[in-house]
Amino acid sequence: MTAKVYYQPQSLGEATGLLAEHGPVLLVMAGGTLAMPLINEGISLPEKVMGLRRAGLNYLRRSNGSLVIGATTTLTQMIDQQEIPILQEAAQNVGSWAIRNMGTVGGNLFAPPPAGDFAVALLALDAQIKLVSKSGARTIPLSDFYTGFMTTALVPGELLAEILVPIPKGTTTYLKYGRRHANTPAVVTVAAHVQFEGERVIDARLALNAVGPHPFRAGKAEQALIGTRLDPPTLEAVATIAREESEPFTDAVASEWYRQKMVGIFVRRALEKIAA
Amino acid sequence: MPSKIVSFTLNGRPTEIMVKPLETLQTLLREQLGYTATKAGCRQGGCGSCTVLVNGEPMLSCLLPVEDIEGQEIMTLEGLAQDGELHPLQETFFEKFAIQCGYCTPGMLLVSKALLDHNPQPSREVIVEALTGNYCRCTGYEPIIQAVLETAQRMNGHGK
Repeated sequence: MTAKVYYQPQSLGEATGLLAEHGPVLLVMAGGTLAMPLINEGISLPEKVMGLRRAGLNYLRRSNGSLVIGATTTLTQMIDQQEIPILQEAAQNVGSWAIRNMGTVGGNLFAPPPAGDFAVALLALDAQIKLVSKSGARTIPLSDFYTGFMTTALVPGELLAEILVPIPKGTTTYLKYGRRHANTPAVVTVAAHVQFEGERVIDARLALNAVGPHPFRAGKAEQALIGTRLDPPTLEAVATIAREESEPFTDAVASEWYRQKMVGIFVRRALEKIAA
Repeated sequence: MPSKIVSFTLNGRPTEIMVKPLETLQTLLREQLGYTATKAGCRQGGCGSCTVLVNGEPMLSCLLPVEDIEGQEIMTLEGLAQDGELHPLQETFFEKFAIQCGYCTPGMLLVSKALLDHNPQPSREVIVEALTGNYCRCTGYEPIIQAVLETAQRMNGHGK
């Protein structure tokens, strides 16, 4: 243990003040489920750490047709809320009970694949995120947050404060495939939101995880869904496009080859659930 | 920065302790306080052997800075037996041979206690889901699941 100081800001303002004062050497953590394993193992040796448990960012409220989620709201709280059922399902698919009691919604956005199985549902719901610094705040789409493997659009001094999720207007589905039923890293995770006019798709969002450098929207596959009736040939075609759009990797869970095969299958199954 | 003084309740007893920055609850319990029922397995949040209850909810003490538990109620396995009487879960774990090497047992018992407090008559499926973060490498899980089911039955839906 090398930490020389552990800051526990009592408000968002205090937290952004500390970030401005100390700069990027200040390690920010909330539930500790990502940062503490690295610290325990000596992989990360931060001297200055800021914990957000008491920064007043643990809340859920409705505002203008959106669910507003404070960044340190736990995954267990997301299972307990009933406003957006797909977020209950996504939270249930992260880690174990104890991990969900500690891990936070905001933290999940920083979890490198194959983790990030909550964030992928937020992407499918077109969530916005509020980034706050000492000098101001900006709100951006979650899809613009990810810039690469473990890199984000956060600039120095900014803190992820809030996640805004529009209440879904269409049909949603969430499908995670892992090697076990629970508490398991994903081979592939699919989250989708589809809106119909009559039988025709007028809007589609298809988000994937564990098959790219970060959770991402399969934009070309989404386009291919517009105007269709989700008939079997369409689903096959869309599954192929999603497979081509993904950049799977090999890890202890699955090979690149296997993940590539599974993307197509699970995209098709997810869309079949929506069509049913 | 110097160490901090943190106050919390440990197994019902008010406790005040001085800790170094970011010291984990696991380290405090095992190395400073001698509460060694809380195990140090993977220290990655993956095995569940260090599970404690924070205000009745399972958390992993290897990932929890002591400074974050200021004012909270902590229960370790040492606090499960009351007045020299084993908790019904401990009795059934013993009878059903849900313990072999014993390393996972503290975590299994505490998660099972939290589960029965929330849901006095859980289905097998709910028990399996609750215990999914606790690894056992000896018994094959079945006796553990059976012990929790049996305890729920014996307590006749009266958790705690």
